[in-house]
Amino acid sequence: MSGPSFERGYNALKEEIDAPTAAFFSSCVHCGMCAEACLFFTETRDPKYTPIHKLEPLRKVWKQEYTFWGKLGKALGLSRPLTDQDLADWESLVYDSCTLCGRCSMVCPVGNDITYMIRKLREGMAAAGHAPKGLIDATKRAVTIGSPMGVKLPALQAQIRHTEKEYDVKVPMDVEGAEYLCLLSSMEIMNFPEYIGSIARIFKKAKVSWTLSSQAFEATNSGIQIGVSDIAAELVQRIVDVAEELKVKAVISPECGHAYMAIRWDGPNLVGKRFNFKVVHILELLDELRTQGRLKMKDKEARKLTYHDPCQIARRGGVIDQPRNLLNMLADNFVEMPETGKMNWCCGAGGGVSSNERADDLRLKTFARKKAQLDTINVDAIVSACSNCRIHLEEGLEEYHMELPLLSLTETIAEHLAEE
Amino acid sequence: MSKDKTLGETLQERGVSRRSFLKFCATTASMMALPPAMIPVIAATLEKLRRPSVIWLSFQECTGCTESLTRSHSATIEDLIFDTISLDYHHTLQAASGSAAEHAREEAMQENYGNYILVVDGSIPGENNGYSTIAGISNKAMLLEVAAGAAAIVAVGSCAAFGGIPKADPNPTGAVSVSDLIKDKPIVNIPGCPPIPAVITGVLVQFLTFGLPELDQLGRPAAFYGNSIHDRCYRRPFYDKGLFADSFDDEGAKKGWCLFKLGCKGPTTYNACATTKWNDGTSFPIEAGHPCLGCSEPDFWDAGSFYKALSTPTEDIGKTAVYAGAAGLIAGAALGASLRARKQSAVKNHERVTIDDLDQES
Repeated sequence: MSGPSFERGYNALKEEIDAPTAAFFSSCVHCGMCAEACLFFTETRDPKYTPIHKLEPLRKVWKQEYTFWGKLGKALGLSRPLTDQDLADWESLVYDSCTLCGRCSMVCPVGNDITYMIRKLREGMAAAGHAPKGLIDATKRAVTIGSPMGVKLPALQAQIRHTEKEYDVKVPMDVEGAEYLCLLSSMEIMNFPEYIGSIARIFKKAKVSWTLSSQAFEATNSGIQIGVSDIAAELVQRIVDVAEELKVKAVISPECGHAYMAIRWDGPNLVGKRFNFKVVHILELLDELRTQGRLKMKDKEARKLTYHDPCQIARRGGVIDQPRNLLNMLADNFVEMPETGKMNWCCGAGGGVSSNERADDLRLKTFARKKAQLDTINVDAIVSACSNCRIHLEEGLEEYHMELPLLSLTETIAEHLAEE
Repeated sequence: MSKDKTLGETLQERGVSRRSFLKFCATTASMMALPPAMIPVIAATLEKLRRPSVIWLSFQECTGCTESLTRSHSATIEDLIFDTISLDYHHTLQAASGSAAEHAREEAMQENYGNYILVVDGSIPGENNGYSTIAGISNKAMLLEVAAGAAAIVAVGSCAAFGGIPKADPNPTGAVSVSDLIKDKPIVNIPGCPPIPAVITGVLVQFLTFGLPELDQLGRPAAFYGNSIHDRCYRRPFYDKGLFADSFDDEGAKKGWCLFKLGCKGPTTYNACATTKWNDGTSFPIEAGHPCLGCSEPDFWDAGSFYKALSTPTEDIGKTAVYAGAAGLIAGAALGASLRARKQSAVKNHERVTIDDLDQES
């Protein structure tokens, strides 16, 4: 293939600009309110982290390609056209200091979806060869090996064997006609294998018909994070193919933020057709089981708990009430952090930032915001529903010398399941 | 009265006390928003002035401006002023008639050539002289002739200043304003239909004392036309609170709320009515419960209904809106098509991005 080039990147930006993008740029009133909504601005006070500023290359292409005055200015040599150097200069703003958390989109007084446009700008950055090394490598592994962390099927099989022995459960694999196809994130397989045991126990008690797939067990989508729709579509297609082959009714997105966004919201657009199965997040399914009375608890969690909303699940995904219903079922002492739900603050590692080593210092610096939130409520443990949030929160707590256990909501429910 | 006597001497002869004179100067200074320190300056200047010759020409007008001036209740002020100038020619006010009257004009012009003040009320008809002549002379010819020797021109009333009612659509006489015809003399416009009497005299005093006053972009003295009626209106607090009269006999009207919705042109009209008021400071239209007509603004007669709120269009915009809409649709569709083509070409140029296309080195 021809490799990355500025021309390909520029063409991708031209291609990405659509009516909403044009409307957003035209209606921006330069109020700067998005800055105060952005973790990277509030924790650094550096104006370069103002969300709309991160979009400057895309705005320039829109102006010079699609507006009268922009075209005139460019033709007369009054405005400088976009250069490869511009994209290089913006790389760290677009990848290191944006987690696609979507908080800026919420506060924009004219309703601009800034996150939507960052995702578009990444298309051009990636095609021009300005994606971060860590994300490129993760994307390559996702395509060639099937997992961004390089997890292969034998590793999963080993974890399954271990799980089946430990919990005395059966983990179904490649079962045709199962109701649910369950996806996993690599992090769950490698760092939090208890998740597999947890869903196995819950589904056994709740009598849910489910299966894993040896062909498509990975739910994460590096193509979304790096900003290459061609690759993102390929990764989604793998899941679609398996779901159709196994004739499942629904696909369960695991405890992972962007995986849910990728398969639930972007998926059908990426592959260009409607799915003939439903997509649910594991928390949506668990809450449904709760309302059907299929989740029975033996006792309640005694600790004082709070919940960290993963951005892609809550703000961008709309799964806000379900975890709270589940937590109130699970614990008597569940408290909210200030600014939760759709206005929660990102952990600082989403949107591919955690795969990008260059951003390590910055993302740990931004953890100060989460620390400030936690300092106001004084809890015994944090519950969340995204293994990426979980890993980063653990790192952040360690960095800031805070001793707080981090729990997975699904795993905590499994621990409190009533015996037969 | 000899024209050679100064104003001070004339006043003394007429038995006007120094106290009344200074009171007049103080009133004038405050009307023009001048600092009190200027009162002695006005007094000293006026006292020393020799009465300038004034020629008053009336063209296409209704004599309302002269009525306004003469019916003023503030007789002491206006009489004073009219004794301070030598009004050598004025159709309505002069006793002479026929060729004697024209003779007075010619004599005043000859004696004071280059120094007299020309006051005009009424607009001037266009090419057809038949619409208005005086002693066989067309209005335009007379204006040009008298203006040639004037030190300055004062256009009194909206007709002289802007063309006024004679110029209203369809303008059958081809009426124009003084400033449309005279370009080489200082012109002060005192519009209004009619202007406030004290404003006419005030401008003349200002003119005599300090020379040409500061004018706004329409040639009006800023001292009297600097604020809008709306900004100085005593009903303004109701506007700010959103309390409006919706008809002339509703609760709002009885409570004296803002007349904006009944068509008040106060917000776009610049005049001193709200502060100086009329009939010796008794009242002004809004105080009497009627919206401002905007009579001191150009083309006020054609600015839509007097009783429609300023925010409603003045003309039937139906057709214009349809044409503009259609033009917008066509332009928008064309622009949209061109931009879409631009984007389509980008989509066509898309090369599938694979993992081998991500690294700079590869």
